[in-house]
Amino acid sequence: MQLVIEHLSKTYPNGTHALKDVTLTIPQGMFGLLGPNGAGKSTLMRTLATLQEPDTGSVRLGDIDVLRDKDAVRRTLGYLPQEFGVYPKVSAEELLDHFAVLKGIIDRKQRRELVQALLQQTNLYDARRKHLGGFSGGMRQRFGIAVALLGNPKLIIVDEPTAGLDPAERVRFLNLLSELGENSVVILSTHIVEDVSELCSRMAIINQGEILLEAEPLAAIEQVRGRVWKRLIDREALPVFEQEHRVISTRLFAGRTVIHVASDAQPGPEFEPVDASLEDVYFTVMRGRLPTEEAVATA
Amino acid sequence: MFAHIVGFEIRQGMRRISTWLYFGIFFGLGFLLINVAGGAFRDFAPTTGGNEFANSPVALAAWTALLSVFGLMVTAAVVGNAAHRDFATGIHPLFFTTPVRKRDYLGGRFTGAVLVNLIIFLGVPLGIMLGSMMPYLERTRFGPFRLAAYAQPFLVFTIPNLLLTGAIFFALAALTRQMLSNYVGGVVLLVGYLLSSQLLRDIENKRVAALVDPFGVRAVSLDTRYWSVAEKNSRLVPFFEGLVAGNRLLWLAAAALVFGLVYSRFRFAHHAPALRRRARAAIEPLVRAVPAPLAIPMVARDFGARAWWMQWTSTVRREFWGIVRNVYFAALVLAGLAFVVFSATQLGKIYGTTTYPVTYQVLELLSGTFALFLLIIITFYAGELVWRERELRANQIHDALPIPTWVPFLAKLTALALVVLVVLALLLMCGVVTQAAKGYFRFELAQYVRELFGIQFVDYLLLGVLALTVHTLVNHKYVGHLIVVLFFVFTGFMSQLGLEHNLYKYGSDGGVVYSDMNGYGHFLRSWSWWKLYWGAFAVLLAVATNLFWVRGQETGAGRRLRLAQARFGRTPQTIAAVAAISFLGLGGWVFYNTNVQNEYRTSKQQEAAIAGYEKKYKRYEHAPQPRITAADLHVDIFPERRDVLARGTYRLQNKTRVPVDSVHVQLPRDTEIRRLAFSRGHRQVLEDQELGYRIFALDEPLQPGDSLVLLFDLAYLSRGFENETGGTQVVNNGTFFNNAFLPSVGYNARQELQEDDARKKYGLKPRPRMAPVNDLRARQNSYISNDADWIDFRATVSTSPDQIAIAPGYLQREWTQGGRRYFAYAMDAPILNFYSFLSARYAVKRDRWNDVAIEVYYHPGHEYNLERMIGATKKSLDYYTANFGPYQHRQVRILEFPRYAAFAQSFPNTIPYSESIGFIARVKGPDAIDYPFYVTAHEVAHQWWAHQVIGGNVQGSTMLSETMSQYAALMVMEKEFGRANMKRFLKYELDEYLTGRAFEQKKELPLMLVENQQYIHYNKGSLAMYALRDLIGEERLNQALARYVQAVKFQQPPYTNSVEFLSYVRAATPDSLRYALTDLFETITLWDNRTQAASVTPLAGGRYAVELNLQARKMRADSLGNETPVQMNDLVDIGVFAPARRGEKEGRLLYLRKHRVRSGNQRIRVEVGERPARAGIDPLHKLIDRITDDNVVSVRDARVTPAAAGPV
Repeated sequence: MQLVIEHLSKTYPNGTHALKDVTLTIPQGMFGLLGPNGAGKSTLMRTLATLQEPDTGSVRLGDIDVLRDKDAVRRTLGYLPQEFGVYPKVSAEELLDHFAVLKGIIDRKQRRELVQALLQQTNLYDARRKHLGGFSGGMRQRFGIAVALLGNPKLIIVDEPTAGLDPAERVRFLNLLSELGENSVVILSTHIVEDVSELCSRMAIINQGEILLEAEPLAAIEQVRGRVWKRLIDREALPVFEQEHRVISTRLFAGRTVIHVASDAQPGPEFEPVDASLEDVYFTVMRGRLPTEEAVATA
Repeated sequence: MFAHIVGFEIRQGMRRISTWLYFGIFFGLGFLLINVAGGAFRDFAPTTGGNEFANSPVALAAWTALLSVFGLMVTAAVVGNAAHRDFATGIHPLFFTTPVRKRDYLGGRFTGAVLVNLIIFLGVPLGIMLGSMMPYLERTRFGPFRLAAYAQPFLVFTIPNLLLTGAIFFALAALTRQMLSNYVGGVVLLVGYLLSSQLLRDIENKRVAALVDPFGVRAVSLDTRYWSVAEKNSRLVPFFEGLVAGNRLLWLAAAALVFGLVYSRFRFAHHAPALRRRARAAIEPLVRAVPAPLAIPMVARDFGARAWWMQWTSTVRREFWGIVRNVYFAALVLAGLAFVVFSATQLGKIYGTTTYPVTYQVLELLSGTFALFLLIIITFYAGELVWRERELRANQIHDALPIPTWVPFLAKLTALALVVLVVLALLLMCGVVTQAAKGYFRFELAQYVRELFGIQFVDYLLLGVLALTVHTLVNHKYVGHLIVVLFFVFTGFMSQLGLEHNLYKYGSDGGVVYSDMNGYGHFLRSWSWWKLYWGAFAVLLAVATNLFWVRGQETGAGRRLRLAQARFGRTPQTIAAVAAISFLGLGGWVFYNTNVQNEYRTSKQQEAAIAGYEKKYKRYEHAPQPRITAADLHVDIFPERRDVLARGTYRLQNKTRVPVDSVHVQLPRDTEIRRLAFSRGHRQVLEDQELGYRIFALDEPLQPGDSLVLLFDLAYLSRGFENETGGTQVVNNGTFFNNAFLPSVGYNARQELQEDDARKKYGLKPRPRMAPVNDLRARQNSYISNDADWIDFRATVSTSPDQIAIAPGYLQREWTQGGRRYFAYAMDAPILNFYSFLSARYAVKRDRWNDVAIEVYYHPGHEYNLERMIGATKKSLDYYTANFGPYQHRQVRILEFPRYAAFAQSFPNTIPYSESIGFIARVKGPDAIDYPFYVTAHEVAHQWWAHQVIGGNVQGSTMLSETMSQYAALMVMEKEFGRANMKRFLKYELDEYLTGRAFEQKKELPLMLVENQQYIHYNKGSLAMYALRDLIGEERLNQALARYVQAVKFQQPPYTNSVEFLSYVRAATPDSLRYALTDLFETITLWDNRTQAASVTPLAGGRYAVELNLQARKMRADSLGNETPVQMNDLVDIGVFAPARRGEKEGRLLYLRKHRVRSGNQRIRVEVGERPARAGIDPLHKLIDRITDDNVVSVRDARVTPAAAGPV
């Protein structure tokens, strides 16, 4: 089963062009959707999660026409939105049970087992009797994951899931996801490059509604290998370098600035080759096609 | 900084669409109101209104005040939002960490929001102004444009109310950081407003009532309640004195206090300050070691009916408990219940006296007073339910779940229904507790259940569906609330727009009235059909709601429409089709019942028909007609079928001096005529079914003095049901109707249109309400009947075997035949052509007074006041026979009838008496006005004053029957309860008179020219006769009355009039007092008496001198209330009171004597034997004085404060 997205476009009433002719094929396994804030990630995710209507285009999940047969999608969907709230005065166990019913798990015993298992898996078991109103951001996020995992979904969409998690939680969560990816389509939207590089077998980079790159992370890294160089410079010198080279990223290091530059050949003696990472791929793609304009209003 | 925040807030407000939508709604309401008042809908609706201008300052003030109550909802949204927005969006930490001062933040937000809200409310005066300029309105209904009349109420009501409600909402939202609390605040304010209306049931409470209404509506209506039409049209409401000023000051202070509170309690903190115990800080268990690899058990899933059922129940549980467990729900319900409990103390007050808490009364009170709360609960929680997931931001998860869209919708509707059920159950408990607390233990639980969970629940369920639909379609929470409320308002307005048929009033029915006597009677059947009809419509609404249910992020209209189309699959199509067909089918059935089986006329059509009657047949008004001299009737009442068959004969005699060649017979329209014939040759020359008018030409003219017989056989069959409650005359238990359903002879001018405005519409000339007092031609008829004088009467009445049937007269024979019970009655003396028929399952209580049999026919269970009624009858017979003349009958019968009407009426020796006005009265305490006693005495007096003395069909004649019956009853009451007790009664009479004249539609007249105006012949009549008795003495007055009765009783035409009556009274009045006859009877006279100060000086011998500083004025008013001062030189009571002892409201009278009082300031000195406490002029309120509070003042010691005695 794979998810096939073809020519998806969406313009909001305020004129924002959120998706521009997006075409993607997402196979089983983890798929990373990488892009800056406002790139159109959430719009795409919500469209896949049956919550939004594109202007044009089609989406198919296996035999299911996602845009038409929403009920069928929902039966096999696990969705964790970027931002969500919970009923504050209900315990985690109780609400998870309620969601399980809503997901069609009607056998009481099975449901109980599943709820317990998910609470264990998301490390919420000890807090299961507590009201959700008292949960921290990370706990709430894990609760959301538990909800998404109810009912053995075949399509899992997680929108910016690691945003509020501390490092340990993040690791746990990503582990969980990667296990799921073994027999589902898991789409992970994020602006954190490490999330993708650590987990995903395939990825796409999206900016301003357009897919800039669709690739396997390793292959993509392979493409830039040997073509990214770094140099430590003074901050004041940055504009000069930006004029002379294709600077793809800058970073502070010990009070000075490290720049990464894309170039087929070594741009100068001061430059050292970089052991290319996905981040370099990301910045190359972002810089290569478009200047560094930030942010489009809606996402 | 402050200005910046204000400006920011205003810009924000102006940018919101909802602001302009609210403005539009208020503008539209103002526009609509003035259009209705200005006669814009005169082509669709019946004519209303009198001489008061549509844009009179009082009307503008009242509307402004009322709409500012309504504006509560907008203020909750606009001002509440200004405080809440930052918390809702979570941006508050950003604001709170800027160096902005609390003063600027709170003050600026509040000021800005209030200004935005003011712009919205500006829509009201602007709408009214523009509306009143519309060219199609009737200019005669408008006075000159006065800017002050708009500006003043805006300044005095709109702005202070906004400051108050705004402060409260702002404070609640800022301190609790939740919008929910705002609704509770709104409800508490409303409770104050409602409380004041409850308090007003007893005029003793008016001061408190005016103050507790936070909106000032009550205060302005109390301040202007006695204003005549002339004053209403010309005077601006005096805002800086009286109750309004006090009210405004009080509530402005409250607003300041509230704002002060929020200022002092508000903290720039991330979490709300602990108003109550907060949820504990987040619990963060330690991250434990990574557990075993992912092992999520595989589960079976079900997406079929079983799953839907479980999903539905699970969601219902979630939603229901979510609402009910919330503290605000408890607050909302408690506020409502507290109000209900308070209202219960005022249960059924008439003249300040309460009734027994019988179940229907309690239910009516509970559900009536609580209805508003339920509407609020439904409107509000419908919004909450629709918005719940979105406000929790859980909507994305929810919307992507594999459940059909209709499951959450249906679950939310169910939860709403459950909430209503819970509230109704609480009401039930409240009702039972109320009854028990009042020492009443006849609990009729079945009745509670039927009314609350049967009838009312269905209504609320229908409203719940509508509210969910509106909230779903509108998709803006506050606008949704407002639209639901507008719907309620609009439903109330529909009839004024000419929309009267229940077929287009969502959720309506023909009406259901429960009566102890008749239960739900025949109403339930029609009610069920109406509810099925609206139920089908509600299903359509539900389908629409489902189609448009917001699921997902698409909220644009176009997208939603497309989504709805996509959702409109086979199942919704089928449901919609079935519902639509049912709706149409049921509508057809209802229409068949209301408009085919029964005749349906809108008020407007009714008006047109009446106009048509006059146009067609007025020319026959003076055609010579024979008069009824005898009626011999056989009436069969079928209570179960609600049918009546009436056959019988009239003897008609030509009492004119010319031969009569044709007889005009009128019958009600829906009569089925089986026979209508004369005892001699005749043919029908005109038959007008529509107007019920028929003319028969006699083959041989009827010569003067000759008689003929009219034979008739008529049927009145009830078919199906009507649009309105209607048909409450013939019912399963408690039938009561009078001879209006039988044939009458000749044109009846009394049926003509009265309103000049309405007459103009149909091209009819204005018509005097009644003929002039001396009009001899009009005096050929009594004011009761235009086709008979005194008639011989006999009737046989039959009914079901378990009922007793009654007609005037004496029972001759009673028998059973063919499973029916027959009663033959005959009258031994001639009576007015005015009689009634009753039938019910009666119990009878019998007694005697001399040779007069007294019988009370009552509903078993209503025994409470039988003794009072019998006692009153005896005392009345004592007094009336001693003072007015002998009683013409040998029995007095009082008969209970269901509460479909709330009056008692005197027929010859027969007094039908509504179950609601005396049978369940609870006269408690020595001060209580015993109105069962009073009503009985009044009705018994009619046996003299109406059934012996009857005035001609001219002005002043109702004085001869109603005023005199009031006087007679007053005298009997005074004998029974003492003079002191009369003061309270007369206070009500004064209030009713002054209020009544303020609402006069045409013209006020002096008592002797009264044109059947109740506030004159009852209320002013009581005051005038009591004052006259006080001046010339009871004995002397009664002697004159007895002479008059003797002279005119049972007279033939021309009938007596008030001029003749007064001539007897005048003869008995000394010259020095005749001025009083002019003041009381011949003119509209008002006094303005006040005591400016009273001082006391101890004298030798333990006596005290009291010096009063008085100011007196006397005015004559014209028919519109324009007043002219006249010279006063009247005998007026001066009274001095002792200090009140424990338990007394006021002290004993130490002195009460009449003194000559002139116009202007003067001093009067009297001596008393004990230390006085209070003193003043006219202390018992015998004169018509609009301000009675200033008549009596506390007496001050002359030596301690010598200045007090000086001129003020």
